[in-house]
Amino acid sequence: MMEFTLVNFLLFMVNCVLSNNFIFSRYLGCCPFLGVSSKVETAAGMGVAVTFVMGLASLMTYIVYYYVLVPLGLQYLDTISFILVIAALVQFVEMFLKKSVPALYRALGIYLPLITTNCAVLGVTLLNISDQYNMLWSVLNGVFGALGFLLAIVLMAGARERLESSNIPKAFKGFPISLVIAGLMSVAFLGFTGLVH
Amino acid sequence: MNLRMSAGPHFVARESTQTLMLDVIIALIPTVAAGVYLFGLRAAWVLAVAVISAVLAEFIWQKLAKKSVRVGDLSAVVTGLILGLNMPAEAPLWLPAIGSFIAILLVKQLFGGIGHNFMNPAMLARGVMLVSWPAQMTIYTLPIRVLGNTSVVPSPDVVSAATPLIRPSAYSTYDLLIGNIPGTVGEVCKLAIIIGFLYMLFVGTISWHIPVTFVGSVALLSWILGSDPLTAILSGGVLFGAVFMATDYVTNPLLNIGHLIFGIGCGIIVVVIREFGNYPEGVTFAILLMNTATPLIDRWTNRRVYGTVKKHA
Amino acid sequence: MRNKQTMRGVFINGVLNENPIFRLVLGVCPTLAATTNATNGLGMGIAATFVLLGSNIVISLLRNFIPNKVRIPAYIVVISTFVTVVQMIIQAFVPSLYDALGIFIPLIVVNCIILARAEAFAGKNSVLHSAADGLGMGVGFTLALILIGIVRELVGNGSVFGLDILGPTFQPMLIAIMAPGGFIFFGLILGIVNSIVNKAGKRSAGKGVKA
Repeated sequence: MMEFTLVNFLLFMVNCVLSNNFIFSRYLGCCPFLGVSSKVETAAGMGVAVTFVMGLASLMTYIVYYYVLVPLGLQYLDTISFILVIAALVQFVEMFLKKSVPALYRALGIYLPLITTNCAVLGVTLLNISDQYNMLWSVLNGVFGALGFLLAIVLMAGARERLESSNIPKAFKGFPISLVIAGLMSVAFLGFTGLVH
Repeated sequence: MNLRMSAGPHFVARESTQTLMLDVIIALIPTVAAGVYLFGLRAAWVLAVAVISAVLAEFIWQKLAKKSVRVGDLSAVVTGLILGLNMPAEAPLWLPAIGSFIAILLVKQLFGGIGHNFMNPAMLARGVMLVSWPAQMTIYTLPIRVLGNTSVVPSPDVVSAATPLIRPSAYSTYDLLIGNIPGTVGEVCKLAIIIGFLYMLFVGTISWHIPVTFVGSVALLSWILGSDPLTAILSGGVLFGAVFMATDYVTNPLLNIGHLIFGIGCGIIVVVIREFGNYPEGVTFAILLMNTATPLIDRWTNRRVYGTVKKHA
Repeated sequence: MRNKQTMRGVFINGVLNENPIFRLVLGVCPTLAATTNATNGLGMGIAATFVLLGSNIVISLLRNFIPNKVRIPAYIVVISTFVTVVQMIIQAFVPSLYDALGIFIPLIVVNCIILARAEAFAGKNSVLHSAADGLGMGVGFTLALILIGIVRELVGNGSVFGLDILGPTFQPMLIAIMAPGGFIFFGLILGIVNSIVNKAGKRSAGKGVKA
């Protein structure tokens, strides 16, 4: 287990956001990445909502796994219990925001239901377990992973806004060209490989 | 209201594109001449295959898509030339051909042709090739001829040699400047690049902002991290990238303030990749990453215009 | 409407007209992750088909008992149960596939295709039709994965299903089997499929006018 130092913290952040970006190198969270990236504002809203949920989900699933599943010897139920924790968490966050922070709810509310089936969220909670992170690194993994997602989706939205007026072949409009854009960006992000050993 | 800002550049008339591209080609002449002199006929072949393939790819696409054939605007020639200059002279000749097809078809025409690509076609193609065929893309050899008085021994045979990025102490500042070093065809002769830069500056093809901030930030950061700043900017592809690739109108920001951000961003990423990354050189990736960020830089440096349009939409 | 469709029609619909990858563009992450070669594509396809078939049958059986308000969580429980079973089977019998697909096996839970079929079809239709839909969608998913997998493996490794096709002189384009290649090749194949479908659509529309 990594010791918590400033250097490790920064290296971990660089690794999660740049070198092993959730979208561009790990293929996690592609559905919202392609679906909610036509405008920069909405993309940023989605990214912030995902960051919020991924951090919380990493914490909650850590507790569920090590304090409930492990003592009961039910580790094989990780997937099923994690997805329920995430679904419940998203519901709870939605209700909480609606009551307590209506402004934030108005901004993020519409994205929250979509997050339950964002594979980045379930993905990061399962990776936290398989990579044997402790509670702190798990939460950081969730938050930084989501910041990588936020960066990717905002860059994507910027490119798509710019290409709105472009004469893209009809068969390639929509998903195909978005996938190609993501691929080209992913080539650029390869430059960051190996920054953290 | 459906008014939207269209993507730059806003000059799409054929004549002006052609004039612009012709100026870039003129600016590239010293670099091409130096590369062919230093690396011989092989370099000329690489350049020729790259240019012909690029023009051919553009022609085929425009025929198949039943668009007016506009290879006369010379933009494909520039893309092919820059791609070829970004390859080692000993690269197998199928490589520039494939690279040009990737650049023209995947990066440029698929997005709607000239003015609509969001990444520099030659740079993206080079990135793809560097990752796909790392061995063939990095056959760096000693020049077969040298310029001026130097201790570098030219070799008519193919002799692989470490580039200045791998062994900074192997070459004198004179050799780095004049190009008596292993490297890609276009990047080695810094003097030729500087002549091209001054020409483009003089005729107004480019402004100083991106090249100067790009090279300046590489020098400054390398110095902070304990390397010799002059060696840092004269090694690898920094100068060539800063003058000929980062300045591509289509894929960098619209305003000068954006150019400054773009140049500094490129410089930082180059030094980070050189010092910490897997790849010895980071110019290609730095430019691609800043291309990726360009729409956002434009938004933030130009916020008012976009905001107004949005509210009425 | 849908209840009147033949089972064969429902099956064909899933494979072609509403192919989950090429027509609905659902399940992008597993598509990208599992198509580095044809074998992985086939493995992921079979696993997802099993889950689709099972969850569609069970959800259709339970459709009159699940209260509408909690249907989504209920569907998720059913789906993740099948996923856990599949995960254990793969781990026990095909460990190489388990290592290759890694986290993307448990992530079948959040594969949009499966929840979408539960919500759009199995929750409203008879068991047999739901089974046909699950199977059709699964086969459509699998065929699409294999197609993308074949292209990426051929270009990126010179082989198909592990068999060397292009010989030792071929210089594989490594990026095809790396992260960017997934996006680029999926995008290009999707665009080509679109243009074929558009052309076919125009032709049949033309015929309709003539008739």
